[in-house]
Amino acid sequence: MNEQDQINHPGIDQRVQYLLNGSIDGELNESELDELDGLLAGSDKLRKLSEELVVVTGLLDGLPEIEPPQYLQESIERQVRLPAQDNRVEPKQGFFRHWLPTHWLQTGFALAAGAVLTIGVYEMGSGPITREDATNLVGTVAKSQAADQGELLDNIPIRSNTLNGRVEFRHLEDFLILDVQLSSAGSSEIVVNLAGQGLEFEDIIRKKDHKDIVSVIDSSIKVTSNGDQNYILKLRRTSVTQQAGPLELEFFIDNTLVHEAELSVPRL
Amino acid sequence: MHKDRDAALVDDCKRGDRRAMSQLVSQYQRPVFNAAYRILGNTEDAADATQTVFLKVFEHIADYDQKFKFFSWVYRIAINESLNQVKKRHKQQPLDDSQVSPWQGPAEDLDSKQICKRVQAALMLLNEDYRTVVVLKHISGCSYLQISEILQLPEKTVKSRLYSARQQMKKTLQNDGSQD
Repeated sequence: MNEQDQINHPGIDQRVQYLLNGSIDGELNESELDELDGLLAGSDKLRKLSEELVVVTGLLDGLPEIEPPQYLQESIERQVRLPAQDNRVEPKQGFFRHWLPTHWLQTGFALAAGAVLTIGVYEMGSGPITREDATNLVGTVAKSQAADQGELLDNIPIRSNTLNGRVEFRHLEDFLILDVQLSSAGSSEIVVNLAGQGLEFEDIIRKKDHKDIVSVIDSSIKVTSNGDQNYILKLRRTSVTQQAGPLELEFFIDNTLVHEAELSVPRL
Repeated sequence: MHKDRDAALVDDCKRGDRRAMSQLVSQYQRPVFNAAYRILGNTEDAADATQTVFLKVFEHIADYDQKFKFFSWVYRIAINESLNQVKKRHKQQPLDDSQVSPWQGPAEDLDSKQICKRVQAALMLLNEDYRTVVVLKHISGCSYLQISEILQLPEKTVKSRLYSARQQMKKTLQNDGSQD
């Protein structure tokens, strides 16, 4: 018997504890039950202890089952990725540029579609996205890859009346990944402040065909969408490894700030 | 918990069958949520933990060793995730100022909601080791053997912790409220 057991019930040896516990949990055989009956018959203290244990276990067994929130199943299913979601063999390449030598048709289509996507895409207060930005956005119209998920660094669950879901922060090879899965009632916007982090925008991979607008202004990435936000933001480390502080994220619904979060960026 | 059916669904999940995934989530989300709720003490944290549990389950489904029962594996992840969240929070829910104790008077005179609240509060005062075995026994309905498999502990240790936990809860519930 350890010290804590002695404090809780001095004088009750382990055999008796086992018999008392076991009788409540239906784990005793006939001879053990007889043994316990004999002990209880000879001790008021043991009988009282037994009755009290019955009360405690009754109270615990009486705790009601709690209904999970209604959104939970759908939220889980939306976020889960399986090892192989279809029969298509996915090339184990995470970088769009590596596709160029062998997937020129897909590349050509993506470039053309990316050019169409950039028409009419504007940043607030800074004019249309430049050709360089458009190059960064190319590849986003192609169907998302079932990419390796990487090491989970942090997780931001968001639960509010206007915005629900999560953002996962992962480390994958040379990249840091923001895996965004959010649903909202109105127009939503996420701003990722990269200033002083030694990070730059690499790519965005959409998981569903949503119309959203991605802009990279100075050191901030802004993604605006009407409704759900389901994509992966890839951030590349630059040669600058000095970090000013945590990576800041801001979440807006209909231009109102509804949530803020900070993520610790692992040092190289 | 049907081992063969779970095994078949897991195999389907490994092949990318989302309907199989949906079935497993449907089957286990309630028990996982309830175990997390009783360890963490609130629905929001329990919901977050439950989501993380399933993300981890399916993230590592390819590595799952079928010689272990699927529900044992899921519960182990659920317990570990819940305890991780407890460590992050570093707080316990104190008993409230109500003078009601389940030991006072006939049970039927007491509001059952109040009783449940106090029992949950007493549960939250247990250390994590004790709370875990109580939750697995009384909330998840696991046997001593199943608990020992989930927590990777000898059965003897499970029984000992359960006994001590029940004693401590008894003491807490008796001492709370006005006592004669």
